[in-house]
Amino acid sequence: MSITVHVPSPLRGECEGASRLQLSATSVRAALEELERRYPALHRSICDETGKVRPHVNLFVNLAHVRDRDGLDTALAPGDILMILPAVSGG
Amino acid sequence: MSERVIACIGTKKGLFVAESGKTRRRFELRGPFGPGVAVYSTLIDGRGTPRIYASSCNPYFGMKILRSTDLGKIFKETKSAPGFPKEDGRALINIWSLEAGNGRNDLWCGVEPASLFRSSDGGNSWEMVPGISNHEHARKWQPGNGGLCMHTILRDGNRVHIGISTGGHYLSEDGGTTFAASNKGVGAGFMPDPYPEFGQCVHKIAGHPDAPGRLYMQNHGGWAEWDGPGGRRPDIGVLRSDDHGKTWRSIAKGLPSDFGFPIVVHPHDPDTVYVAPLETSTRTCPGGAPAIWRSEDGGGSWKRLARGLPKKESFFTILRDAMDIDELSAPALYLGTTTGQLWLGRDGGDEWSCLFDSLPPIHCVKVAVV
Repeated sequence: MSITVHVPSPLRGECEGASRLQLSATSVRAALEELERRYPALHRSICDETGKVRPHVNLFVNLAHVRDRDGLDTALAPGDILMILPAVSGG
Repeated sequence: MSERVIACIGTKKGLFVAESGKTRRRFELRGPFGPGVAVYSTLIDGRGTPRIYASSCNPYFGMKILRSTDLGKIFKETKSAPGFPKEDGRALINIWSLEAGNGRNDLWCGVEPASLFRSSDGGNSWEMVPGISNHEHARKWQPGNGGLCMHTILRDGNRVHIGISTGGHYLSEDGGTTFAASNKGVGAGFMPDPYPEFGQCVHKIAGHPDAPGRLYMQNHGGWAEWDGPGGRRPDIGVLRSDDHGKTWRSIAKGLPSDFGFPIVVHPHDPDTVYVAPLETSTRTCPGGAPAIWRSEDGGGSWKRLARGLPKKESFFTILRDAMDIDELSAPALYLGTTTGQLWLGRDGGDEWSCLFDSLPPIHCVKVAVV
């Protein structure tokens, strides 16, 4: 099933400049695994070596933060949008 | 092309490169490279065609290594940055040191949490060095105020010296395969045992190729007034070793404070060493009047160098890698501050002037003549 991954501008260099990626995945975890296979540098920017999502990276499925659903096991349906967003913090 | 002086300035907001002729009258500034991302370590590798490396430490998206082959006009990411094996359980937090290895493309890299990595292809791929990264002490090291960082990698033939905050000084005598804690005489003011086997908060270690057994260390000092168990611990902050780091002794007498971060050795004289004393409580310039202190007799005595530096109302910090010295016949010191100033100390620090006064907070400065 096809979902769309929205890539924030600082990470587009890791996926040949694409702002949106189409891929097949039934969960957020599967989507990240697919990203790791296709764009390892992009995956490294989202997850650390242990596979955990980096602390300042937020993943949303449509409008819901995955932490408010089932984390990486959050199910994806055809047409869903997985958004990668850096947390808002500064200094 | 005539010789150029290149200063790489790692800041909170990216890497800047300043370039000048040998007179050092006027520096042209380029950057920021890796804009908006903190740089904690740079390396100017002058072997063959010079290459510049820099760590780009992004708290959002992880660590990168930047590389330039045109003296810092264009930087590109290497193919990968150091990373722990998946099964290790640790994750990279920061990159604190980059040093050249033996081979043309060999690099060493110290990271947080304190671990060592090596590359044999100019930073495109990395392997963890297990002898220190998986040392039996490694899971007992504690983060200091700046994190659990491996900030010093000093190589001398088959000897490799490692400085860890807080972990102490570790020595390998087999080219980096095995390491042993080597902290005899290195104090720890913040532990019940003032002279533990390991766990000291070493801030920086420096050496000189003409005196390979000699090392200088800026340790975490400032414990002269300690009145807890174990008694006072004065003068544990500035140390010297004459036996390849096996034993250490204080050379802090005569300094206004034994607390500080960087320590730098004159490129042509192993007896001449520089420190930047700071007030212990604030980690800023003593009395608001910055000064670098120079010893020309290996730490036996010290002279205050402040001509041209502010005389008052200056409360910056000089971080562990924010002081360097070039290799010209009359070397100049370069001093980066947390308030974003880069100072040039001509004639070995006798006369200071401000090169740039409004950079982002400076983490590290490396200088080379290429």
